[in-house]
Amino acid sequence: MAIDENVEAIRGFMDGITYPVLIDAEHLLTDLYAISNVPSVVLIDEDDRIVQPNWNAYATDTFKEYTGIDSGEQLELIRRWVIDGTALISPDEAREAVGHLSVDEEHAHLLFRIANYLRRSGDEQGASRNYDLAAELAPHDWTIRRAMMPLRGGDPFGAEFFALAEEYAAAGRPFHGIAARSE
Amino acid sequence: MDADPTTPDLALLTGGPLVSSAELETSLGWTLKAEGLCRDEVCVLVPDRDAIERDGLVDVVAVAGLLDRPVAHDIESDVVAIGAPRASRRGALDDLLAPDFVLPDLDGTAHALSDHRSKKRLLVAFSSW
Repeated sequence: MAIDENVEAIRGFMDGITYPVLIDAEHLLTDLYAISNVPSVVLIDEDDRIVQPNWNAYATDTFKEYTGIDSGEQLELIRRWVIDGTALISPDEAREAVGHLSVDEEHAHLLFRIANYLRRSGDEQGASRNYDLAAELAPHDWTIRRAMMPLRGGDPFGAEFFALAEEYAAAGRPFHGIAARSE
Repeated sequence: MDADPTTPDLALLTGGPLVSSAELETSLGWTLKAEGLCRDEVCVLVPDRDAIERDGLVDVVAVAGLLDRPVAHDIESDVVAIGAPRASRRGALDDLLAPDFVLPDLDGTAHALSDHRSKKRLLVAFSSW
């Protein structure tokens, strides 16, 4: 599920992919699953139960140097769950991990959608006004702060990203879900 | 006024918060009746009628409040965005029940989580940003 409106950019990742890849241009899932960053991986069992919510997990080691996360270990945990149903954490831990969007974060998600609408309609000033307010209300939500960078002509892999990463680290890395264990 | 037909949990209204009853039904799926706000067999009591009705129009910001749906109104552009009901959304996560959703794939074909019922599923939220 691409939390992204840039369909062409997503198409660029699709070589050899056989499972469904969906476009969530309006960030619906960030509301429904309280997702605050990518990648967030959710494991759902045969009875529609979330057994592993919003896990910061990786399929490759492309970002290992930066994240400190070993994708091999994570893939092995997923494999065990698929094969013999071994849960990664208890239901209580899962409930604890996911948390809820705060009222401010909920509001920020709505302002982000208003900003997108205004940007697409050519009202740049109105878009800016709403993006700014959304960023203020959800300062640690990457699906707001980083996602808006390319939409406003910025670079989500440039200086803005590193500034946000520092801000995030200084705030204690608040994350809706099971954060990476890199330390 | 536009309503996004693909995501009933979200609504975007572009002509301000005051809408006709027909528009209320298209955007949020509820109708204002004598007994209250109704959808299918369910009605929600409206304690103060004057707070949601003005000049024969309905105030969706007030309606969203009654339906426990978060709402944002950008006054300058008069765009209103409404989210999914708060208590049921939070309740699903508290009960670890995976919320169903429908989203398009890259070719525009709709897929639902429930298309894959009774199977283990792995969802990856990712992005190009």
